[in-house]
Amino acid sequence: MSVQPGQTQAEPRRAPKRRKRPFRTDQLLGWVFLAFLLAYAVIPMLWMLSTSLKTQFGALQQPPRWIPENPTLAQYRLLLSPFNDVGRDFLRYLLNSLWVSTATTVLGVLVAVPAAYAFSRFRFPGRNALFFTVLVRNMFPLVVFLIPLFILMKNLHLVNTHWSLIITYLTFGLPLSIWLLKGFYDNIPPQLEQAARIDGASRFQAFWLIVMPLSSPGIIATAIYAFIQAWNEYVYATTFLTDDRLLTLPVGLQRFFAEYSTNWPGLMAASFIMSVPVVVMFLLLQKYFVRALTEGAVKS
Amino acid sequence: MSTVPLQHEPQPPLPPEQALPEGSARRRAPERQRNILLRIRDHWADYLYIAPALLVMVVVIGYPLVYTVYLSFFETPPRGGRNFNGIDNYTTILTSERFWMVTRNTFNWTIFSTLFAFLLGFGAALVIQREFIGRGIVRGILLIPWVISLVAAAYVWRWLYHSDYGLIGGMLQEWGVTQERFVFLDSTRWVMPSLIVANVWKEFPFVMIMLLAGLQTVPDQLMRAARVDGANSWNQFIHVTVPHLKNVIVITILLLFVANLNSFGLIWIMTGGGPAYASQIWIVEIYTLAFRSLRFGLASAFSVILFLFMLSIGYFYVRAMTSGDRERGHA
Repeated sequence: MSVQPGQTQAEPRRAPKRRKRPFRTDQLLGWVFLAFLLAYAVIPMLWMLSTSLKTQFGALQQPPRWIPENPTLAQYRLLLSPFNDVGRDFLRYLLNSLWVSTATTVLGVLVAVPAAYAFSRFRFPGRNALFFTVLVRNMFPLVVFLIPLFILMKNLHLVNTHWSLIITYLTFGLPLSIWLLKGFYDNIPPQLEQAARIDGASRFQAFWLIVMPLSSPGIIATAIYAFIQAWNEYVYATTFLTDDRLLTLPVGLQRFFAEYSTNWPGLMAASFIMSVPVVVMFLLLQKYFVRALTEGAVKS
Repeated sequence: MSTVPLQHEPQPPLPPEQALPEGSARRRAPERQRNILLRIRDHWADYLYIAPALLVMVVVIGYPLVYTVYLSFFETPPRGGRNFNGIDNYTTILTSERFWMVTRNTFNWTIFSTLFAFLLGFGAALVIQREFIGRGIVRGILLIPWVISLVAAAYVWRWLYHSDYGLIGGMLQEWGVTQERFVFLDSTRWVMPSLIVANVWKEFPFVMIMLLAGLQTVPDQLMRAARVDGANSWNQFIHVTVPHLKNVIVITILLLFVANLNSFGLIWIMTGGGPAYASQIWIVEIYTLAFRSLRFGLASAFSVILFLFMLSIGYFYVRAMTSGDRERGHA
């Protein structure tokens, strides 16, 4: 991308002299581009962190300062302490989010694993529909589902319960989860199971003892993806939940904003706390995730 | 859903028909056209594995789709009940001036977000693909915007753009780029570009990770062969990398396009569609109609219009996704 046509023609001439790494302008441009990208990606995050350590007055100082003059953890102490109203609310939202995301993830894996295995191994009529479900799910506007689902949840008396969210997230995550997992199962040779079955294992035993351990990276990647999606989801959460005690973090954050709209350090601290778990989780396990994408989505 | 062509099965490896003796080829044909019910009966146990997934999907995806279409033909007074009013909802929407203004915003938002997110993400993938020290860390850092919550991202950007105390406006003034305080989100002219910058920030890592995954499948031999033949990096990129990645590129662009057409949270939190509807897009309009004005019928009709638009894009999407299979089939 960042190549100038003139530069590269010099390469053959230079190549014999310095074999290892001839200096090339396109590489330099590559580094410049990378530096720009890093700045673009990181500056908002750093500003979030920097603001969260300022006093309310310090945050409004002009011109803006990167390093807070009197850094303070006051906002974090306020948010994470159960002994005041703000902290109690925030911790409750945190627990709500944790519960909804965990339940979604666990149920999602339990439902997706057998389905993905079936799509990978069996040839039944309609198995190609999976692909189109993934498609439909990605294709159709959220609001198409939002209005009738809201009415459905109301009729089932699930509005203002966490189950409305868990069911919704579970379903919307399923097609992609199944698709990603199927990519993993496709790569595990069926001969391994056949060998186990010849040795007397049942189909389920062969699956449990042979296929499950081999596909665990895929399951981990899928589970993380489901967790992050549920943790971050906002639109359904804001529509289905109105009871203050039930809110998840994204919606809770919005409520904070409505109440303390001038307290930017507090808001940034809350955003930071909310981002930490998913970022850490993702950074630790990004290897699996990239692999899942390569094997599941891209190759197949 | 039934409009999606289902006939291209990416096949169980059947032996090539020509290789078979004539008799068996003829016997095979009725076998393949056997009654679908019989085939389903033969495989009934397989469905047990997908039954739980199927059940939730029918309830949570199938039912709402049908119900939205149904509701779009009714007038729904906020106090409850419904009256059939034919296609009135549709004509109301399509003849309003507001609809066309919102449509223009929607296209600006979708096209520019997709374009810039794709270019940046592709560039990032190409740079990150090289081996260098700290590559894993850099990749991780670049992925952070994608991973964090949309709500947190929306508030950070809102704070960065703040008309009185924002970092960006403050820096521009400090460096003497602008004399006056530059107004981002409160200006009808700049609100859309500002939102797009925030949106691209959130999305480019997705493109990067998809294309990075794709780049790993480009065979090294192909690149080496091109280099031996005297191709420079640009030619390598255009004649080897891009054609090899064609499918991934098409899928990524379409996914981005659809995601942008459907995006709601960022605009809703940062501007709510304002000022003066300058950042109102379809989804935000529908949400406002349904959950602020409580006009579910009208909002449903609007959803159906959006849905039909998506369907036509879906057609290209399916063609793009399946063209790879066809090519591979011929090779």
